[in-house]
Amino acid sequence: MSEKQLSRAMAGVAAIAGVGHSDWIADYAAVRGGTKPHDSFGYGAIAFKRALEDAGIDKSEIDGLVSGPPTAHERMCEVLGIDPRWGVQADAMMGIQAAALAIHGGMCEVVALVYGNDQRSAAVNYGGSNAAGGNAFLSYIYHAPWGFTSQGALYAIMLRRFMHDTGFSERDMAEVAVAQRLHSSLNPHAIMQKRITIEDYLASHYVTEPLHLFDYCLINDGGVAFIMMSAERARRCKKKPAVIHGIGRYDLSREATSLTPRLTNFYRPAQKAVAEQAFGMAGIGPKDVSCMQVYDSFSVHVPLALEGYGYCGYGEAARFIRETGISLERGIPVNTSGGHLSESYMQGWNHQVEAVRQIRGECGPRQVPDCRFVHYSSDVAGKALSIIYGH
Amino acid sequence: MSDGRIFIEPVPTAETEAFWAGTAEGRFLVRRCRSCGKAHWYPRTICPFCSSDETEWVEGTGEGTIYSFSIMRRAKPNYVMAYVTLTEGPTMMTNIVDCDPESLRIGDAVRVTYVKTAEGRALPMFTPKSEASA
Repeated sequence: MSEKQLSRAMAGVAAIAGVGHSDWIADYAAVRGGTKPHDSFGYGAIAFKRALEDAGIDKSEIDGLVSGPPTAHERMCEVLGIDPRWGVQADAMMGIQAAALAIHGGMCEVVALVYGNDQRSAAVNYGGSNAAGGNAFLSYIYHAPWGFTSQGALYAIMLRRFMHDTGFSERDMAEVAVAQRLHSSLNPHAIMQKRITIEDYLASHYVTEPLHLFDYCLINDGGVAFIMMSAERARRCKKKPAVIHGIGRYDLSREATSLTPRLTNFYRPAQKAVAEQAFGMAGIGPKDVSCMQVYDSFSVHVPLALEGYGYCGYGEAARFIRETGISLERGIPVNTSGGHLSESYMQGWNHQVEAVRQIRGECGPRQVPDCRFVHYSSDVAGKALSIIYGH
Repeated sequence: MSDGRIFIEPVPTAETEAFWAGTAEGRFLVRRCRSCGKAHWYPRTICPFCSSDETEWVEGTGEGTIYSFSIMRRAKPNYVMAYVTLTEGPTMMTNIVDCDPESLRIGDAVRVTYVKTAEGRALPMFTPKSEASA
């Protein structure tokens, strides 16, 4: 990708003017108690209404819709009561990119991005022969007979090789879960707020070795919504906008089914290309980033992102975590809300709520001082994507 | 060998039918491209490297090394998921069986063995060469 021209055309064009989400804690308790507060559409609709209020705009201003993967696009329009003139179904990563392009291209002016997921109450299984697209992509069909029935197995195999190659230890891995619990203990929206120690982590049981219980994300119901518009328009809204200064994406889909690029390259080639694009567009580098929000279906995403995006060199994540730090106490804070491990598993959507709140300075005891740029990174299903949010 | 495990049955496709027919006879077939000479996994008719449709089955050695592995601790009985690099080049998802999981190391030499499913198909798995009986 480096020989191709890097575009800066999207720098500073679009911004998030409003965010909203459902009551993760109450809904988590309700679902564990055997009730189901809403279906996926309902969670999305609650988040949508709150995002409109947060932006201080009326529903009639919405003329574009990005609907999250679990919900049918047309029905989401119906539930929200809107007739958009542009729309697409996309996840938290591709949705931001698509909406910003649509606004830049003049296909619409104000986009609602709405995600709802009843994954816990519906007992969604993220493993087995139907995982990751199942029959449609043949994704895991080939691996299911060998008991490859969870995403955890993929990350466990990846982590063991990473440890072997770089000297990363289980104690180093523990630092991620411990830091994120420190952060979630300061977050009133987080489902898991009880702090843990390195010793708690090391004493916790293995699920698929070397991954411990605390390396896994939560599974909970909920919804998240954003309101995106031009940065210029967003500056006239109720709250300070989070402007998108950089976007980069690179897919490792060539060996999607065999999982080879992820298991053997740790996402590195994709992250390198994404870093060039996203940081290049924003005109900044890792040293300018105030905090990172890293898609953390598993804790191992964090050291891979630190290395892959150039916060430290390859093989240096353990030393970086120990000497520089990844918590609000020192270094570069990663997943200041608690992330998927401890706040809520909203598949990359909640990380960007946190990014917006950090840019606005709304985070109270977990606020990163003088927060200038937030790097959101996602590396899942072979796609690497980064968004740089700022003022 | 299978310790009472219940396996998800493989789903043979037009591209992999011969592979599964092979394992039933104790043969480990690898798909290779006649045009660029590279072998790949999973078996395909179109070469993923050069897009040629001149691909063919060759008898694999059934030997390789452990690239990485994970012990599935939450399953009873525990089993060992592994990514094994075949001597032909590609790396495949599989299991390591007939072994002491605690003594496995990345880089260990392994050889193929076959484990029967409920429907009688043969799943290729691997066992450490040093402990292999055959």
